[in-house]
Amino acid sequence: MEFNELALDLDKIEKDYPEDPLGFFRNKKLCVFKACLEKYFPGVRYGIIDLLNELGLEVDSCVNQSCCSGTFFQRNLITRAQFAAINERNLNELNHQADIVLVSCNGCYNSLLRGRYFLKNPDVRRKTEEILNQIKKEIGNENYPGKYDILENPSVKIVHDLDFIYLIRNQITDVLKYDLKGLKVASHYGCHYLNQSRDKKDPESYLKDKTKLEDLIQLFGGIPVDYQERESCCGWGASQLVIHPKEALKITYRKLKSAEKNDADFLLMPCPTCLYTLSKPEYRQKIDEWYGEKLEIPTIHINELIAILLGCEQERCITLRRTTPRLQEIFQIITQE
Amino acid sequence: MDEYTDVNWNWDFYKELVEDIEENKNIVQCISCGKCVGDCPASKISKFNIRKIIQKVLRGDKSVLKDSDIWYCFLCERCKRICPRDNINIPLLIINLRNESFKKGYGPRYNDLRKYVEMSERFLTSGVVVEEPLGGKLPEERVKELDLICNFARIKYVFKASKKNKKNKNKKK
Repeated sequence: MEFNELALDLDKIEKDYPEDPLGFFRNKKLCVFKACLEKYFPGVRYGIIDLLNELGLEVDSCVNQSCCSGTFFQRNLITRAQFAAINERNLNELNHQADIVLVSCNGCYNSLLRGRYFLKNPDVRRKTEEILNQIKKEIGNENYPGKYDILENPSVKIVHDLDFIYLIRNQITDVLKYDLKGLKVASHYGCHYLNQSRDKKDPESYLKDKTKLEDLIQLFGGIPVDYQERESCCGWGASQLVIHPKEALKITYRKLKSAEKNDADFLLMPCPTCLYTLSKPEYRQKIDEWYGEKLEIPTIHINELIAILLGCEQERCITLRRTTPRLQEIFQIITQE
Repeated sequence: MDEYTDVNWNWDFYKELVEDIEENKNIVQCISCGKCVGDCPASKISKFNIRKIIQKVLRGDKSVLKDSDIWYCFLCERCKRICPRDNINIPLLIINLRNESFKKGYGPRYNDLRKYVEMSERFLTSGVVVEEPLGGKLPEERVKELDLICNFARIKYVFKASKKNKKNKNKKK
């Protein structure tokens, strides 16, 4: 397996802090990784920040962090070495500022691990070093040592928000104001969460069923709904929706239809890119136009759901600018006293 | 597709690809079981068939670079997860093939990557891919680092295409 030293070792925390996993995070500098698509879903970022604050933890964001650039690498617009250099630049900044970085997006999480993984190839590593040396030469004004070096042993660790929420799940329930009122919830994990191997230590943990969202739904008072397309892609497919919209949207359509047919009240997911694809009104309209079906199942990110359950104001957790169908209805059901 | 015989075996294409991305040498381990195809989202909506693509590569058939099939891959890594062999990284092979396709001039033209034209411009001028990102753009003095990192990359040509498009639009006005 390719266990990446950058990923937080969740098994170890569970073992060392069986009663109080949150204890591991106290007195540590926490930082959120800024995912570009959170612009459309601010509740994804505010949700995790509000939760941490509610639990008595401080959290920051990194001003000097850029986009993870995964989208450009996946379209062959930058090389592996350039992708690794962008990643290393971000990691240097994060390493300088934080102990733990929380990531809300499957794509960003994958990029952070993948950039480090590419450095295991000596040729990519040499080219990445050359690129970073060029920056050193041209810009030079380092305000801390090693700013443009490849991190040998980064002390910073990254954790996916879903994994973090799951790890501290029993401590979260103490601060939640509402529950899911028996709503039926379908889970969508997203490809780069479901197929992620770089944060796993052994094949067993890689291959075992992923049921974290279903466990959380149950814990929060909802009913998990199984459906045929549970493991399928959202349709985004590294921009397939942009390049081949008619074909890729079929995948989105099948997923939404499958969840809706199984009477799910909403679809829950851990990634803003999947959320963008599965909720964009323009895509829903095209589904209606091309496949003759009006699908109205609401879609919610796990961080947004946490925010709703915490009693956060509607504008902050599921911003009213969002025109996802029936989202307000779900908000009202959950928050009725 | 006609099945090949051993007479067609040719390693030249394979060597060319491995020279660019060494990790792809592992594709020789492919047993053609087809698990990757059965579970592939791209195969559900197009002619994309990774089992056949690997067969073609191992037999030196460069037609895969011209075919549109390789551009349908979702890079979802599902095939990597379910492949029964160790260390076959199909998404990385696709990146490898798309690279070769671009180099030979078969890939999409930069102007066809419309959405990427805007995104490339934003990334190289503000460090993010959306307008008015939550939490602000990358500070101006740090944006230059990204520009330096991306020297000679295709993203720069896409960025230039965005400038050219703007110029043409302004002329029309």
